[in-house]
Amino acid sequence: MNSPLKLTVLITLIIFLYAFQAAGAELKIIGIITKLELAPDGKSAIAVLKDNNGKEVTITVVDELTLDKFKDHRIVEGDEIRCKYEVIEGKNISRYFRKTAGC
Amino acid sequence: MKKLTIIFICFGLLTFFIPQTWSKDHPGKTYIEAKGYEGPKTCEVCHQGKAKEFLNTVHWKHASPVTNVENIDHKEEYGMKNRIYTMCNGNDIVNNLKEIPKNPQTGKVKFTGCNTCHPGNHLSDVGSSGPAAEEAIDCLLCHSQAYDFRKRVPYKDEKGQVVMGQDRSTNAALAVGRPTVKNCMVCHEAAGGGVLIKRGFAYNKETDVHAAKGMVCVDCHQAQNHRIPTGFDPNNWANDGIRLVCADCHTEKPHKDGDLNAHTARIACQTCHIPKTGGAYAKDFTAWEQGNDKFYEPATLKKEVNEITPVYRWYNLTVANTPHFIGPKGNREDGKSKIYPFKVFQGKAFYNKKTGELMAMDFAPPMATGDARAGVAQAARTLGIKDFELEAGWQTIYFGSNHLVTKTDALSCYNCHAPNGVLNFRELGYNEKEIEKLTSPELYFEKILKKQREEW
Repeated sequence: MNSPLKLTVLITLIIFLYAFQAAGAELKIIGIITKLELAPDGKSAIAVLKDNNGKEVTITVVDELTLDKFKDHRIVEGDEIRCKYEVIEGKNISRYFRKTAGC
Repeated sequence: MKKLTIIFICFGLLTFFIPQTWSKDHPGKTYIEAKGYEGPKTCEVCHQGKAKEFLNTVHWKHASPVTNVENIDHKEEYGMKNRIYTMCNGNDIVNNLKEIPKNPQTGKVKFTGCNTCHPGNHLSDVGSSGPAAEEAIDCLLCHSQAYDFRKRVPYKDEKGQVVMGQDRSTNAALAVGRPTVKNCMVCHEAAGGGVLIKRGFAYNKETDVHAAKGMVCVDCHQAQNHRIPTGFDPNNWANDGIRLVCADCHTEKPHKDGDLNAHTARIACQTCHIPKTGGAYAKDFTAWEQGNDKFYEPATLKKEVNEITPVYRWYNLTVANTPHFIGPKGNREDGKSKIYPFKVFQGKAFYNKKTGELMAMDFAPPMATGDARAGVAQAARTLGIKDFELEAGWQTIYFGSNHLVTKTDALSCYNCHAPNGVLNFRELGYNEKEIEKLTSPELYFEKILKKQREEW
Protein backbone atom coordinates (compact mmCIF):
# COMPACT_ATOMS: atom_id res chain seq x y z
CA MET A 1 0.00 0.00 0.00
CA ASN A 2 1.21 3.49 -0.71
CA SER A 3 1.60 5.98 2.13
CA PRO A 4 -1.57 8.11 1.60
CA LEU A 5 -3.64 4.92 1.49
CA LYS A 6 -2.00 3.59 4.65
CA LEU A 7 -2.69 6.89 6.37
CA THR A 8 -6.32 6.83 5.27
CA VAL A 9 -6.78 3.30 6.57
CA LEU A 10 -5.10 4.22 9.86
CA ILE A 11 -7.24 7.32 10.36
CA THR A 12 -10.38 5.35 9.49
CA LEU A 13 -9.43 2.70 12.03
CA ILE A 14 -8.76 5.29 14.75
CA ILE A 15 -12.06 7.06 14.04
CA PHE A 16 -13.87 3.71 14.02
CA LEU A 17 -12.34 2.61 17.34
CA TYR A 18 -13.04 6.00 18.93
CA ALA A 19 -16.61 5.98 17.67
CA PHE A 20 -17.02 2.41 18.88
CA GLN A 21 -15.93 3.35 22.40
CA ALA A 22 -17.78 6.67 22.40
CA ALA A 23 -20.95 4.86 21.40
CA GLY A 24 -20.68 2.90 24.62
CA ALA A 25 -19.69 -0.51 23.33
CA GLU A 26 -19.99 -3.12 26.03
CA LEU A 27 -16.70 -4.40 27.42
CA LYS A 28 -16.15 -7.25 29.87
CA ILE A 29 -13.73 -8.20 32.60
CA ILE A 30 -13.54 -10.90 35.25
CA GLY A 31 -11.23 -9.79 38.00
CA ILE A 32 -10.50 -9.39 41.68
CA ILE A 33 -11.40 -6.11 43.39
CA THR A 34 -8.09 -4.59 44.43
CA LYS A 35 -9.52 -1.24 45.50
CA LEU A 36 -13.01 -0.12 46.37
CA GLU A 37 -13.91 3.47 47.19
CA LEU A 38 -17.39 4.69 47.87
CA ALA A 39 -18.07 8.36 47.15
CA PRO A 40 -18.84 10.42 50.28
CA ASP A 41 -22.43 10.97 49.10
CA GLY A 42 -22.85 7.22 48.56
CA LYS A 43 -24.18 7.72 45.04
CA SER A 44 -21.23 6.24 43.18
CA ALA A 45 -18.16 4.14 43.77
CA ILE A 46 -14.89 3.32 42.10
CA ALA A 47 -13.78 -0.30 41.94
CA VAL A 48 -10.45 -1.39 40.51
CA LEU A 49 -10.62 -4.87 38.99
CA LYS A 50 -7.49 -6.85 38.23
CA ASP A 51 -7.80 -9.77 35.84
CA ASN A 52 -5.70 -12.91 35.57
CA ASN A 53 -3.22 -11.25 33.22
CA GLY A 54 -2.59 -8.40 35.62
CA LYS A 55 -4.64 -5.92 33.61
CA GLU A 56 -6.34 -3.36 35.85
CA VAL A 57 -9.56 -1.58 34.95
CA THR A 58 -11.11 1.17 37.04
CA ILE A 59 -14.88 0.80 37.04
CA THR A 60 -17.39 3.44 38.08
CA VAL A 61 -20.45 1.95 39.74
CA VAL A 62 -23.65 3.97 39.96
CA ASP A 63 -26.47 1.44 40.22
CA GLU A 64 -28.20 1.40 43.59
CA LEU A 65 -28.29 -2.36 44.09
CA THR A 66 -24.53 -2.73 43.72
CA LEU A 67 -23.81 0.39 45.76
CA ASP A 68 -25.92 -1.07 48.55
CA LYS A 69 -23.78 -4.22 48.42
CA PHE A 70 -20.68 -2.07 48.84
CA LYS A 71 -22.21 -0.20 51.76
CA ASP A 72 -23.02 -3.27 53.83
CA HIS A 73 -19.92 -5.09 52.60
CA ARG A 74 -21.67 -7.91 50.77
CA ILE A 75 -19.08 -7.06 48.11
CA VAL A 76 -15.60 -6.28 49.41
CA GLU A 77 -12.02 -6.00 48.23
CA GLY A 78 -10.72 -9.46 47.31
CA ASP A 79 -14.02 -10.63 45.80
CA GLU A 80 -13.92 -11.88 42.23
CA ILE A 81 -16.32 -9.96 39.99
CA ARG A 82 -17.84 -10.52 36.58
CA CYS A 83 -18.30 -7.03 35.13
CA LYS A 84 -19.70 -5.53 31.93
CA TYR A 85 -19.08 -1.86 31.36
CA GLU A 86 -19.35 0.91 28.82
CA VAL A 87 -16.88 3.71 28.21
CA ILE A 88 -18.78 6.96 28.51
CA GLU A 89 -16.90 10.26 28.48
CA GLY A 90 -13.70 8.48 29.45
CA LYS A 91 -15.23 6.60 32.38
CA ASN A 92 -15.84 2.86 32.55
CA ILE A 93 -19.44 2.79 33.68
CA SER A 94 -20.58 -0.53 35.13
CA ARG A 95 -23.65 -2.15 33.60
CA TYR A 96 -23.27 -5.51 35.33
CA PHE A 97 -21.27 -6.10 38.47
CA ARG A 98 -21.68 -9.44 40.16
CA LYS A 99 -19.64 -11.72 42.39
CA THR A 100 -18.70 -14.89 40.60
CA ALA A 101 -19.13 -16.93 43.76
CA GLY A 102 -22.31 -18.49 45.07
CA CYS A 103 -23.25 -21.50 47.10
CA MET B 1 -69.73 12.14 80.56
CA LYS B 2 -70.35 10.97 76.99
CA LYS B 3 -67.73 13.45 75.69
CA LEU B 4 -65.28 12.28 78.29
CA THR B 5 -65.79 8.66 77.22
CA ILE B 6 -65.19 9.52 73.56
CA ILE B 7 -62.02 11.45 74.43
CA PHE B 8 -60.84 8.56 76.56
CA ILE B 9 -61.43 6.04 73.74
CA CYS B 10 -59.65 8.28 71.19
CA PHE B 11 -56.70 8.71 73.51
CA GLY B 12 -56.54 4.97 74.06
CA LEU B 13 -56.60 4.26 70.31
CA LEU B 14 -53.88 6.82 69.66
CA THR B 15 -51.57 5.47 72.33
CA PHE B 16 -52.08 1.98 70.93
CA PHE B 17 -51.50 2.82 67.28
CA ILE B 18 -48.95 5.63 67.28
CA PRO B 19 -45.98 3.61 68.48
CA GLN B 20 -46.71 0.82 65.99
CA THR B 21 -47.49 2.80 62.88
CA TRP B 22 -45.77 6.14 63.17
CA SER B 23 -42.67 5.56 65.21
CA LYS B 24 -39.67 4.36 63.24
CA ASP B 25 -37.78 3.36 66.36
CA HIS B 26 -37.78 -0.21 67.50
CA PRO B 27 -39.35 -0.26 70.98
CA GLY B 28 -36.28 -2.03 72.32
CA LYS B 29 -33.90 0.71 71.18
CA THR B 30 -33.29 2.15 74.65
CA TYR B 31 -32.71 -1.29 76.11
CA ILE B 32 -30.23 -2.27 73.38
CA GLU B 33 -28.41 1.06 73.64
CA ALA B 34 -28.04 0.57 77.37
CA LYS B 35 -27.23 -3.13 77.49
CA GLY B 36 -25.73 -3.81 74.07
CA TYR B 37 -26.66 -6.77 71.91
CA GLU B 38 -25.94 -10.29 73.06
CA GLY B 39 -27.62 -12.34 70.36
CA PRO B 40 -31.01 -14.04 70.63
CA LYS B 41 -31.17 -13.65 74.39
CA THR B 42 -31.43 -9.89 73.87
CA CYS B 43 -34.30 -10.41 71.41
CA GLU B 44 -35.95 -12.83 73.82
CA VAL B 45 -36.28 -10.12 76.47
CA CYS B 46 -39.35 -8.98 74.54
CA HIS B 47 -39.87 -11.70 71.91
CA GLN B 48 -40.09 -14.63 74.27
CA GLY B 49 -40.06 -18.09 72.78
CA LYS B 50 -39.10 -16.91 69.30
CA ALA B 51 -35.69 -18.58 69.25
CA LYS B 52 -37.12 -21.99 70.08
CA GLU B 53 -39.90 -21.38 67.58
CA PHE B 54 -37.40 -20.60 64.82
CA LEU B 55 -35.56 -23.89 65.32
CA ASN B 56 -38.60 -25.70 63.97
CA THR B 57 -38.75 -23.89 60.65
CA VAL B 58 -37.40 -24.72 57.20
CA HIS B 59 -34.93 -21.87 57.46
CA TRP B 60 -33.26 -23.65 60.37
CA LYS B 61 -33.91 -27.30 59.51
CA HIS B 62 -33.47 -27.02 55.72
CA ALA B 63 -36.04 -29.81 55.55
CA SER B 64 -39.67 -30.59 56.25
CA PRO B 65 -42.24 -33.29 55.64
CA VAL B 66 -43.05 -33.31 51.92
CA THR B 67 -46.44 -34.63 50.93
CA ASN B 68 -46.81 -33.73 47.24
CA VAL B 69 -43.76 -35.51 45.77
CA GLU B 70 -43.79 -39.13 44.64
CA ASN B 71 -41.13 -41.79 45.30
CA ILE B 72 -40.05 -40.45 48.67
CA ASP B 73 -40.77 -41.61 52.21
CA HIS B 74 -43.56 -39.36 53.42
CA LYS B 75 -42.58 -40.00 57.03
CA GLU B 76 -39.14 -38.47 56.47
CA GLU B 77 -38.14 -34.83 56.03
CA TYR B 78 -36.57 -33.51 52.83
CA GLY B 79 -34.86 -30.33 51.78
CA MET B 80 -31.42 -28.96 51.01
CA LYS B 81 -30.26 -30.77 54.11
CA ASN B 82 -30.42 -34.13 52.34
CA ARG B 83 -31.79 -33.86 48.78
CA ILE B 84 -29.74 -34.91 45.77
CA TYR B 85 -30.56 -33.27 42.45
CA THR B 86 -28.55 -31.75 39.67
CA MET B 87 -28.93 -28.02 40.23
CA CYS B 88 -26.77 -28.48 43.32
CA ASN B 89 -25.67 -32.14 43.38
CA GLY B 90 -24.53 -31.66 46.95
CA ASN B 91 -26.45 -31.00 50.15
CA ASP B 92 -25.80 -29.91 53.71
CA ILE B 93 -24.69 -33.39 54.70
CA VAL B 94 -22.16 -34.26 52.00
CA ASN B 95 -21.18 -30.71 51.15
CA ASN B 96 -21.02 -29.37 54.67
CA LEU B 97 -19.27 -25.99 55.11
CA LYS B 98 -15.56 -26.68 55.32
CA GLU B 99 -12.13 -25.61 54.20
CA ILE B 100 -11.38 -27.24 50.87
CA PRO B 101 -8.00 -28.84 50.07
CA LYS B 102 -5.21 -26.59 48.80
CA ASN B 103 -5.37 -25.66 45.15
CA PRO B 104 -2.26 -27.32 43.64
CA GLN B 105 -1.43 -24.27 41.53
CA THR B 106 -1.86 -21.50 44.08
CA GLY B 107 -1.64 -23.33 47.40
CA LYS B 108 -4.71 -21.37 48.44
CA VAL B 109 -7.73 -22.75 50.30
CA LYS B 110 -11.20 -21.42 50.82
CA PHE B 111 -14.33 -22.23 52.76
CA THR B 112 -17.36 -23.52 50.97
CA GLY B 113 -20.47 -25.59 51.60
CA CYS B 114 -24.20 -25.72 50.92
CA ASN B 115 -25.00 -24.64 54.47
CA THR B 116 -23.04 -21.39 54.15
CA CYS B 117 -26.39 -19.59 54.21
CA HIS B 118 -27.70 -21.38 57.28
CA PRO B 119 -28.60 -18.72 59.87
CA GLY B 120 -26.63 -20.33 62.68
CA ASN B 121 -22.95 -20.30 63.55
CA HIS B 122 -22.19 -23.72 62.00
CA LEU B 123 -21.29 -25.17 65.42
CA SER B 124 -25.04 -25.25 65.89
CA ASP B 125 -25.87 -26.32 62.40
CA VAL B 126 -28.80 -27.36 60.22
CA GLY B 127 -31.56 -28.91 62.31
CA SER B 128 -29.76 -28.58 65.63
CA SER B 129 -31.80 -27.97 68.77
CA GLY B 130 -31.46 -27.05 72.42
CA PRO B 131 -30.15 -23.98 74.24
CA ALA B 132 -26.88 -23.79 72.25
CA ALA B 133 -28.80 -23.80 68.98
CA GLU B 134 -31.17 -21.12 70.24
CA GLU B 135 -28.22 -18.98 71.23
CA ALA B 136 -26.55 -19.53 67.82
CA ILE B 137 -29.37 -18.06 65.73
CA ASP B 138 -28.28 -15.09 63.64
CA CYS B 139 -31.48 -13.04 64.12
CA LEU B 140 -29.94 -9.89 62.68
CA LEU B 141 -29.03 -11.54 59.39
CA CYS B 142 -32.71 -11.43 58.46
CA HIS B 143 -33.88 -8.55 60.63
CA SER B 144 -31.19 -5.86 60.59
CA GLN B 145 -30.79 -3.15 58.00
CA ALA B 146 -27.26 -2.38 59.15
CA TYR B 147 -25.72 -5.85 59.13
CA ASP B 148 -22.01 -5.76 58.36
CA PHE B 149 -21.39 -8.70 56.05
CA ARG B 150 -17.65 -8.57 56.61
CA LYS B 151 -18.43 -10.31 59.89
CA ARG B 152 -20.46 -13.11 58.32
CA VAL B 153 -17.55 -15.11 57.03
CA PRO B 154 -16.39 -18.59 58.06
CA TYR B 155 -13.23 -19.06 60.08
CA LYS B 156 -11.52 -21.71 62.16
CA ASP B 157 -11.67 -21.35 65.94
CA GLU B 158 -8.94 -22.36 68.37
CA LYS B 159 -10.16 -25.97 68.26
CA GLY B 160 -9.96 -26.06 64.47
CA GLN B 161 -13.75 -26.07 64.11
CA VAL B 162 -15.26 -24.10 61.25
CA VAL B 163 -17.40 -21.30 62.66
CA MET B 164 -19.63 -18.92 60.71
CA GLY B 165 -19.14 -15.39 61.98
CA GLN B 166 -22.04 -13.10 62.81
CA ASP B 167 -22.55 -9.37 63.21
CA ARG B 168 -23.79 -9.01 66.76
CA SER B 169 -22.90 -5.35 67.05
CA THR B 170 -25.13 -2.87 68.83
CA ASN B 171 -25.20 -0.85 65.63
CA ALA B 172 -26.73 -3.75 63.70
CA ALA B 173 -29.15 -4.53 66.51
CA LEU B 174 -30.41 -0.96 66.60
CA ALA B 175 -31.50 -1.30 62.96
CA VAL B 176 -33.87 -4.24 63.40
CA GLY B 177 -37.21 -4.57 61.75
CA ARG B 178 -39.20 -6.57 59.22
CA PRO B 179 -36.97 -8.28 56.67
CA THR B 180 -36.43 -6.22 53.54
CA VAL B 181 -35.75 -7.55 50.04
CA LYS B 182 -32.04 -7.35 50.77
CA ASN B 183 -32.32 -9.54 53.86
CA CYS B 184 -33.94 -12.30 51.81
CA MET B 185 -31.90 -11.95 48.66
CA VAL B 186 -28.56 -12.09 50.45
CA CYS B 187 -29.03 -15.84 50.49
CA HIS B 188 -31.76 -16.48 47.95
CA GLU B 189 -30.04 -14.75 45.03
CA ALA B 190 -26.77 -16.61 45.53
CA ALA B 191 -28.11 -20.16 45.41
CA GLY B 192 -27.04 -22.66 42.79
CA GLY B 193 -23.50 -21.42 42.29
CA GLY B 194 -23.74 -17.68 41.74
CA VAL B 195 -25.89 -14.60 41.55
CA LEU B 196 -29.35 -15.30 40.06
CA ILE B 197 -28.28 -18.75 38.86
CA LYS B 198 -30.78 -21.10 40.43
CA ARG B 199 -34.12 -19.35 40.13
CA GLY B 200 -32.99 -16.68 37.70
CA PHE B 201 -35.13 -13.84 38.93
CA ALA B 202 -34.22 -10.45 40.28
CA TYR B 203 -36.74 -8.79 42.53
CA ASN B 204 -36.61 -5.09 41.80
CA LYS B 205 -38.81 -2.38 40.37
CA GLU B 206 -37.62 -3.06 36.82
CA THR B 207 -38.37 -6.77 36.91
CA ASP B 208 -41.44 -7.29 39.09
CA VAL B 209 -44.67 -5.36 39.34
CA HIS B 210 -44.90 -6.06 43.07
CA ALA B 211 -41.45 -4.58 43.68
CA ALA B 212 -42.41 -1.59 41.52
CA LYS B 213 -45.26 -0.97 43.95
CA GLY B 214 -42.83 -0.99 46.84
CA MET B 215 -43.71 -4.43 48.12
CA VAL B 216 -41.07 -6.55 49.81
CA CYS B 217 -40.75 -10.35 49.81
CA VAL B 218 -42.53 -10.79 53.13
CA ASP B 219 -45.56 -8.84 51.93
CA CYS B 220 -46.51 -11.96 49.95
CA HIS B 221 -44.48 -14.49 51.93
CA GLN B 222 -46.03 -13.30 55.19
CA ALA B 223 -44.47 -15.24 58.01
CA GLN B 224 -46.57 -16.84 60.69
CA ASN B 225 -44.43 -17.46 63.74
CA HIS B 226 -41.34 -17.56 61.54
CA ARG B 227 -42.93 -20.07 59.19
CA ILE B 228 -42.73 -18.68 55.68
CA PRO B 229 -45.44 -19.45 53.12
CA THR B 230 -44.17 -20.84 49.82
CA GLY B 231 -45.68 -21.71 46.46
CA PHE B 232 -45.64 -25.07 44.75
CA ASP B 233 -42.40 -25.03 42.77
CA PRO B 234 -41.93 -28.70 41.76
CA ASN B 235 -38.29 -28.47 42.77
CA ASN B 236 -38.74 -26.61 46.04
CA TRP B 237 -39.88 -29.37 48.33
CA ALA B 238 -39.29 -28.18 51.88
CA ASN B 239 -42.05 -25.97 53.20
CA ASP B 240 -43.28 -24.66 56.51
CA GLY B 241 -46.74 -26.10 55.96
CA ILE B 242 -48.18 -22.81 54.71
CA ARG B 243 -48.77 -22.36 51.01
CA LEU B 244 -49.09 -19.23 48.97
CA VAL B 245 -50.90 -18.63 45.69
CA CYS B 246 -51.62 -15.45 43.71
CA ALA B 247 -55.35 -15.76 44.35
CA ASP B 248 -54.79 -15.29 48.09
CA CYS B 249 -54.56 -11.58 47.30
CA HIS B 250 -55.91 -11.28 43.77
CA THR B 251 -58.88 -13.70 44.05
CA GLU B 252 -59.84 -16.17 41.33
CA LYS B 253 -61.49 -13.37 39.32
CA PRO B 254 -58.87 -10.62 39.27
CA HIS B 255 -59.68 -9.05 35.88
CA LYS B 256 -62.32 -6.57 34.86
CA ASP B 257 -62.70 -8.59 31.67
CA GLY B 258 -64.91 -11.64 32.14
CA ASP B 259 -63.21 -13.52 29.31
CA LEU B 260 -59.89 -13.25 31.08
CA ASN B 261 -61.45 -14.36 34.35
CA ALA B 262 -62.82 -17.40 32.55
CA HIS B 263 -59.21 -18.46 31.93
CA THR B 264 -58.29 -18.71 35.60
CA ALA B 265 -59.97 -22.09 36.05
CA ARG B 266 -57.41 -23.76 33.75
CA ILE B 267 -54.62 -21.24 33.30
CA ALA B 268 -52.42 -20.26 36.24
CA CYS B 269 -51.85 -16.52 36.75
CA GLN B 270 -48.13 -17.07 36.18
CA THR B 271 -48.71 -18.35 32.65
CA CYS B 272 -49.74 -14.94 31.32
CA HIS B 273 -48.10 -12.69 33.88
CA ILE B 274 -44.62 -14.29 33.94
CA PRO B 275 -43.76 -14.61 30.25
CA LYS B 276 -40.01 -15.03 30.78
CA THR B 277 -37.59 -16.54 33.22
CA GLY B 278 -33.79 -16.72 33.57
CA GLY B 279 -30.75 -18.21 35.27
CA ALA B 280 -29.02 -21.53 34.69
CA TYR B 281 -30.59 -23.89 32.18
CA ALA B 282 -27.89 -26.57 32.07
CA LYS B 283 -25.01 -27.61 34.27
CA ASP B 284 -22.36 -30.32 34.11
CA PHE B 285 -21.14 -31.64 37.43
CA THR B 286 -18.94 -34.20 35.71
CA ALA B 287 -16.76 -31.48 34.14
CA TRP B 288 -15.57 -28.64 36.35
CA GLU B 289 -14.09 -25.50 34.81
CA GLN B 290 -11.14 -23.64 36.23
CA GLY B 291 -11.83 -20.01 37.06
CA ASN B 292 -9.55 -17.01 37.21
CA ASP B 293 -8.79 -17.76 40.84
CA LYS B 294 -7.66 -21.29 39.78
CA PHE B 295 -10.45 -22.94 41.78
CA TYR B 296 -12.99 -25.02 39.86
CA GLU B 297 -16.76 -24.69 39.40
CA PRO B 298 -19.19 -26.96 37.53
CA ALA B 299 -19.59 -25.86 33.91
CA THR B 300 -22.85 -23.90 33.71
CA LEU B 301 -24.96 -22.53 30.87
CA LYS B 302 -26.98 -19.53 31.98
CA LYS B 303 -29.01 -16.59 30.80
CA GLU B 304 -29.91 -13.28 32.36
CA VAL B 305 -33.20 -12.44 34.00
CA ASN B 306 -36.08 -12.51 31.46
CA GLU B 307 -33.95 -14.15 28.76
CA ILE B 308 -35.41 -17.65 28.89
CA THR B 309 -38.77 -18.59 27.44
CA PRO B 310 -40.60 -20.95 29.78
CA VAL B 311 -42.27 -24.20 28.84
CA TYR B 312 -45.91 -24.76 29.71
CA ARG B 313 -47.32 -27.90 31.30
CA TRP B 314 -50.41 -29.05 33.15
CA TYR B 315 -49.69 -29.13 36.87
CA ASN B 316 -51.91 -30.44 39.65
CA LEU B 317 -49.39 -29.39 42.32
CA THR B 318 -48.05 -32.92 42.74
CA VAL B 319 -44.56 -33.81 41.57
CA ALA B 320 -43.08 -36.64 39.54
CA ASN B 321 -39.74 -37.61 41.00
CA THR B 322 -37.38 -40.13 39.40
CA PRO B 323 -33.57 -40.16 39.19
CA HIS B 324 -33.73 -38.53 35.75
CA PHE B 325 -36.81 -36.30 36.08
CA ILE B 326 -38.33 -33.93 38.62
CA GLY B 327 -41.36 -32.10 37.36
CA PRO B 328 -45.06 -31.40 37.34
CA LYS B 329 -47.72 -34.09 37.30
CA GLY B 330 -51.12 -33.46 35.88
CA ASN B 331 -53.07 -33.39 32.70
CA ARG B 332 -56.02 -31.82 31.00
CA GLU B 333 -58.45 -34.45 32.19
CA ASP B 334 -57.77 -34.71 35.93
CA GLY B 335 -59.89 -31.70 36.87
CA LYS B 336 -57.20 -30.42 39.25
CA SER B 337 -54.51 -29.20 36.88
CA LYS B 338 -53.85 -25.78 35.46
CA ILE B 339 -51.32 -24.81 32.81
CA TYR B 340 -48.23 -23.31 34.46
CA PRO B 341 -44.93 -21.93 33.11
CA PHE B 342 -41.67 -23.62 34.08
CA LYS B 343 -37.98 -23.13 33.59
CA VAL B 344 -36.57 -26.40 32.32
CA PHE B 345 -33.15 -27.11 33.74
CA GLN B 346 -30.97 -30.05 32.76
CA GLY B 347 -28.06 -31.19 34.87
CA LYS B 348 -25.42 -33.80 34.18
CA ALA B 349 -24.01 -35.72 37.10
CA PHE B 350 -22.85 -39.16 38.11
CA TYR B 351 -25.29 -42.00 38.68
CA ASN B 352 -24.65 -45.33 40.35
CA LYS B 353 -24.80 -47.77 37.43
CA LYS B 354 -25.65 -50.56 39.87
CA THR B 355 -28.78 -48.93 41.29
CA GLY B 356 -29.66 -46.22 38.79
CA GLU B 357 -29.67 -43.68 41.63
CA LEU B 358 -28.18 -40.19 41.33
CA MET B 359 -25.01 -39.84 43.39
CA ALA B 360 -24.29 -36.80 45.57
CA MET B 361 -21.07 -34.85 45.44
CA ASP B 362 -18.82 -33.24 48.06
CA PHE B 363 -17.56 -30.10 46.32
CA ALA B 364 -14.34 -29.80 48.27
CA PRO B 365 -12.21 -32.14 46.08
CA PRO B 366 -13.41 -30.91 42.66
CA MET B 367 -13.32 -27.28 43.74
CA ALA B 368 -9.63 -27.63 44.58
CA THR B 369 -8.50 -29.91 41.76
CA GLY B 370 -11.35 -30.31 39.26
CA ASP B 371 -11.65 -34.02 40.06
CA ALA B 372 -15.41 -34.57 40.06
CA ARG B 373 -15.15 -38.33 40.66
CA ALA B 374 -13.17 -37.67 43.85
CA GLY B 375 -16.06 -35.47 45.01
CA VAL B 376 -18.55 -38.29 44.46
CA ALA B 377 -16.30 -40.79 46.20
CA GLN B 378 -15.97 -38.46 49.20
CA ALA B 379 -19.75 -38.00 49.39
CA ALA B 380 -20.25 -41.76 49.13
CA ARG B 381 -17.92 -42.25 52.11
CA THR B 382 -19.92 -39.70 54.10
CA LEU B 383 -23.18 -41.48 53.26
CA GLY B 384 -21.75 -44.99 53.76
CA ILE B 385 -22.29 -46.02 50.14
CA LYS B 386 -19.66 -48.62 49.29
CA ASP B 387 -21.01 -50.43 46.25
CA PHE B 388 -21.14 -48.09 43.30
CA GLU B 389 -20.00 -47.71 39.73
CA LEU B 390 -20.15 -44.23 38.24
CA GLU B 391 -21.92 -43.43 35.03
CA ALA B 392 -22.64 -39.89 33.84
CA GLY B 393 -26.21 -39.02 32.96
CA TRP B 394 -28.66 -36.16 32.65
CA GLN B 395 -31.54 -35.15 34.87
CA THR B 396 -34.34 -32.80 33.79
CA ILE B 397 -35.86 -30.53 36.41
CA TYR B 398 -38.84 -28.22 36.06
CA PHE B 399 -38.44 -25.11 38.18
CA GLY B 400 -41.56 -23.16 39.03
CA SER B 401 -41.72 -19.69 37.52
CA ASN B 402 -43.32 -17.54 40.20
CA HIS B 403 -41.50 -14.20 40.13
CA LEU B 404 -40.74 -11.59 37.44
CA VAL B 405 -44.44 -10.74 37.47
CA THR B 406 -45.56 -8.20 34.89
CA LYS B 407 -48.82 -6.49 34.11
CA THR B 408 -47.80 -4.45 31.09
CA ASP B 409 -45.91 -7.24 29.32
CA ALA B 410 -48.34 -10.02 30.19
CA LEU B 411 -49.24 -12.42 27.40
CA SER B 412 -52.25 -11.34 25.39
CA CYS B 413 -54.82 -13.33 23.37
CA TYR B 414 -52.71 -13.56 20.23
CA ASN B 415 -49.62 -14.76 22.12
CA CYS B 416 -51.31 -18.08 22.83
CA HIS B 417 -54.22 -18.30 20.42
CA ALA B 418 -52.11 -18.43 17.28
CA PRO B 419 -50.73 -21.31 15.20
CA ASN B 420 -47.22 -20.47 16.38
CA GLY B 421 -48.25 -19.28 19.84
CA VAL B 422 -46.40 -19.86 23.08
CA LEU B 423 -48.69 -22.74 24.11
CA ASN B 424 -48.16 -26.02 22.34
CA PHE B 425 -51.77 -27.17 22.43
CA ARG B 426 -50.90 -30.54 20.89
CA GLU B 427 -48.46 -31.35 23.71
CA LEU B 428 -51.02 -30.09 26.19
CA GLY B 429 -53.47 -32.75 25.06
CA TYR B 430 -55.78 -31.01 22.60
CA ASN B 431 -56.93 -32.70 19.40
CA GLU B 432 -56.63 -31.22 15.91
CA LYS B 433 -60.17 -29.90 15.81
CA GLU B 434 -59.75 -28.18 19.17
CA ILE B 435 -56.40 -26.76 18.13
CA GLU B 436 -57.93 -25.29 15.00
CA LYS B 437 -60.49 -23.53 17.15
CA LEU B 438 -58.01 -22.49 19.83
CA THR B 439 -55.62 -20.93 17.32
CA SER B 440 -58.20 -18.96 15.37
CA PRO B 441 -58.48 -15.15 15.66
CA GLU B 442 -62.21 -15.78 15.75
CA LEU B 443 -61.76 -16.14 19.51
CA TYR B 444 -60.57 -12.61 20.11
CA PHE B 445 -60.88 -10.63 16.88
CA GLU B 446 -63.84 -8.42 17.82
CA LYS B 447 -62.57 -7.79 21.33
CA ILE B 448 -59.07 -6.75 20.25
CA LEU B 449 -60.47 -4.71 17.36
CA LYS B 450 -62.65 -2.77 19.78
CA LYS B 451 -59.68 -2.23 22.10
CA GLN B 452 -57.55 -1.12 19.17
CA ARG B 453 -60.17 1.43 18.12
CA GLU B 454 -60.36 2.76 21.67
CA GLU B 455 -56.59 3.14 21.87
CA TRP B 456 -56.50 5.20 18.65
